[in-house]
Amino acid sequence: MNILTVRDLCAGYGATDVLHKVSFTVEQGSIVALLGANGAGKTTILRALSGLLPSRGLVEFGGTDLRQCSPARRVELGLAQIPQGRGTFGDFTVEENLAIGAYTINSKRQIKEDMERWYTAFPRLAERRRQQSGNLSGGEQQMLALARALMSRPKLLMCDEPSLGLAPAITEQIFEIFKSLNHDHGMTLLVVEQNADLTLQFAHTAYVLEAGDITVSGPASDLLRNEAVQQSYLGV
Amino acid sequence: MNGTRLFQSAPAALVTAVALCLPFLAPDFMLFEFSIAVCYGIAILGLNLLLGFSGQICLAQGALFGIGAYATAILNVNFGMDPIATLPFAAIITSLIGVLIGLPALRLQGLQLAIVTFGVASAFPQLLLKMDWITGGVTGLATDQPLAPKWFPGSQELWLYGLSLICAAISVFMLRRLLRGDTGRLMRALRDNPLIAESLGVNLTKARLAAFAASSALAGLGGGLFCILNGFISPQSFLPMKSIDILIGGIVGGITSMAGAFIGAVFIVFVPGWTTDINPALGGLIYGLCLIAMMMVARQGIAGLPIGRSLQALGGIFNKKDLSRVPGPLPGQLGGE
Repeated sequence: MNILTVRDLCAGYGATDVLHKVSFTVEQGSIVALLGANGAGKTTILRALSGLLPSRGLVEFGGTDLRQCSPARRVELGLAQIPQGRGTFGDFTVEENLAIGAYTINSKRQIKEDMERWYTAFPRLAERRRQQSGNLSGGEQQMLALARALMSRPKLLMCDEPSLGLAPAITEQIFEIFKSLNHDHGMTLLVVEQNADLTLQFAHTAYVLEAGDITVSGPASDLLRNEAVQQSYLGV
Repeated sequence: MNGTRLFQSAPAALVTAVALCLPFLAPDFMLFEFSIAVCYGIAILGLNLLLGFSGQICLAQGALFGIGAYATAILNVNFGMDPIATLPFAAIITSLIGVLIGLPALRLQGLQLAIVTFGVASAFPQLLLKMDWITGGVTGLATDQPLAPKWFPGSQELWLYGLSLICAAISVFMLRRLLRGDTGRLMRALRDNPLIAESLGVNLTKARLAAFAASSALAGLGGGLFCILNGFISPQSFLPMKSIDILIGGIVGGITSMAGAFIGAVFIVFVPGWTTDINPALGGLIYGLCLIAMMMVARQGIAGLPIGRSLQALGGIFNKKDLSRVPGPLPGQLGGE
């Protein structure tokens, strides 16, 4: 079953469209990769999906047409985004960042439970819960951004270039976390990446975006063997 | 607030101590001026909340101050209410009007919002003149002054000063509660990165209007108190420059410091007079230089100035490294996103 269906999505900045009728689907319980070079429109897709950017075309999430929904409503429906470059609030403590991630959750008890759960999953964050998040390392900030997004209890987690500015070993660690979230918690993930090699190893399905169009799509394992993809993104 | 709280507590203790000692030190006429400063301090608290904590600018704070003052005067003159009893109403009425002024803030930010709100401030005195059937027009309104009760040992000025301090204490208490809780966190998120806040599901509309409502309520309370202290108000008291004065007070005092709000208020009430005393012909010039020097020495406002390090700061005025220490909210938010 598809949790997200995108059909003929057009979006852009000002009068210029960056996306030209993009269509793709995300199956419930899967990890879907959206690959592409700089400027292909990856971030634009995520912004359009979370409602931060006006768009045209059909976006259906869990049976709801998202076009009339405000960004806040989309979060309530279970769509969470980890923005590019983490976007943690540097002045806030780790705990305050998590608390603001739970803005759409009304039950205090549930917020507390979730915090403890993610503190257990990310012991580094637990150690630093009272520290200003601006002082965390890049990898820790990525974990914080992830935990913050999880606080809204999403059904679909969208992640914008998690590898940006991280050491390869840390990036791999982040992807391992994605994998276990998917495997152990049944979380559906949509990961936007430039690092095609690594992403394809973790994803189930992948789409390649070029200049606002999806050019290649299929199971990730196929794409890993696809010559065109290899030449463009894997540097083989 | 975390992290900054530590160095905020020193100015707060100092300001409180000075405020409580003043009756023993200052003559009655000075006490009256300090009471006026407290009124402005309350309005500046509101601006701090809006500009310092939620990153939105409002150059209509002087007009909102005036709305509070007129609310008190009209309720007293036309409806015979006790002046002190009008204060909560002044706050509520101003808050509602503040929300109306805040509506453009949903679409505009930064410089555009500054101009829109200043437009309100510019139109306000004229509006008061046109609405003379209720505002008394150019003659203004004279209100009853609450007299000190018989048991009160001090002077009338001391009584009014006490009243001002109580209003200030209530304002500070309520603002602290607001900022410590979820609302405060929300407002800081809004200031630091509205786009990210929105992507986390924060309802920007609600948060922005809430900030305007709270900020305006404080302006209204300050204005109501101002009316009581003065016993008379006219459109002349609320010219557009008043809004700029309040902004100056906020920034000179320290835009994220509650103690700074009152330090800034004392600054705008006393310093223009002092500079005129130094040289009647050059008062404006000296005041202007004062403001320039202030921003070179104390970029975070007087309350952000660690005592003792102020001399160091003097030496570092032209040190480039200092530039990176410019506090976050203001430059960023004036430029929009």
